[in-house]
Amino acid sequence: MSAKEPGDDMFADLVSRLNLSGLTVTKIILWLLAITIVSFVIGVGILAVFGDLPGGHGKTASPFVESGSLGNTSSFPLEGATYGSVGITMGAGELTVRGGAPEDTLMEATVFYRNAEWQPVIAESVNGSQKSITMTDKGHTAKEWVAVHSPNTWDVQLSNQVPLDLTVHTGAGDTSLDLSHLNLASLVVENGAGDTEITLGSAPVPGSVEINLGIGDLTLRVPKSGNTRIIVHSGVGDVSRSGFVEQGEFFTTPGYDPERPVTEIRVKQGVGSTSLEAV
Amino acid sequence: MLQNEQEFIRILKERLEGTLAREELDDIVSDYSEHFRMGKESGRTDEELCKSLGSPEDIARELKALHLVKKAENSKSCRNIFHAVIATLGLGLFNLVFVLVPFLILLVMLFVVFIVGILFAVFGPVGFVFSLIQLAGQPAFAIWLNPAAGAFFAISITTMGLLLIIGDYYLARFFYRVGIRYLKWNISVITDTEEI
Repeated sequence: MSAKEPGDDMFADLVSRLNLSGLTVTKIILWLLAITIVSFVIGVGILAVFGDLPGGHGKTASPFVESGSLGNTSSFPLEGATYGSVGITMGAGELTVRGGAPEDTLMEATVFYRNAEWQPVIAESVNGSQKSITMTDKGHTAKEWVAVHSPNTWDVQLSNQVPLDLTVHTGAGDTSLDLSHLNLASLVVENGAGDTEITLGSAPVPGSVEINLGIGDLTLRVPKSGNTRIIVHSGVGDVSRSGFVEQGEFFTTPGYDPERPVTEIRVKQGVGSTSLEAV
Repeated sequence: MLQNEQEFIRILKERLEGTLAREELDDIVSDYSEHFRMGKESGRTDEELCKSLGSPEDIARELKALHLVKKAENSKSCRNIFHAVIATLGLGLFNLVFVLVPFLILLVMLFVVFIVGILFAVFGPVGFVFSLIQLAGQPAFAIWLNPAAGAFFAISITTMGLLLIIGDYYLARFFYRVGIRYLKWNISVITDTEEI
């Protein structure tokens, strides 16, 4: 074999020009190898700690979200019903509920979830003129890295056409309910941990409106023009109000008239601030 | 069949011009002229000498292949090894199987490893950014089953990509050396001479 020529070891020349004293190609390779192995082991370790390793619940050996299950949308028609009842139970994730479902549709739900076990179960039934839908998290054993930042997300649109009872139970995560365009008959919201934001419309809600929160901040918005009365039982945390009138233990909208149909809201707050806004 | 020395030398020169340096070509021509001179002195005819030497085209092909392999050995470059392989192919049709096929397989393998390395080195940082976005609470950008684990996997993928690129470079050098030896061995077998 012949002697080495200038272009024989271009890579080594390039590295030496970087003036990384003491760093040889061998050292660089060993460092890269060490980083590769250590990072991989830590990654697998985290998956193991959080129960995301393959082997259970049909998980694959991939560290990636299953691309086919990143998101899907389901529609549930009214089927002639004139009254709706929707119950949503979510273990952990982010929930958005709003109006604006397509015509003659009681609910349209778009879900983003991590893997097959996160796919919610949706059951529907029709009883006379009432259609009921329950959307339930099947439950999952995996612990969350940061629950409120979980990629498990539901975006639910409800019908503006028919009056409906809405029940929302969430374990952990942020909940955003923009119900301003809905024709609500009653509302129950329970959130274990996470921030909750609720916006109601000016139409009075004839049934009960109950909001029970564990840990997390609540923002409740109602129209100033509405006839609303709110009673708040707060554990640890401030209660702030904007545009409301305090009447004893109640907060009312400025034009509150008990003789007219009233939206009566009961708030039970565990730990966290409560912000009431009449806008 | 060639009948005389002049014709033999003319064809040899024609075939080697442009590949060999002038001095080298003159040396070769001089060697063959000397061979003819000595042959004639010992009473052999041009025709006999031409017959004993064989076809000048074949001799030119062998010399050309030897020269280009030596050139590739002394000055390592893709161009030189490519020329050496092409010249060796000209020595016999069977070299399509014994030279071209292994050469192409190695070329494709090195190319694939390089491309995979590049993809890893590019996807790693992208995956890392995605894991941060996912940790920041943007589920629409969720590509990792677990964003914290994903960040470490992304680092691992990046460094693995860099290792593949570096490894590919050394692998290419290794196969270059082995390839040169193989070409020299191939030429020596075909021309029935000692390996240079």
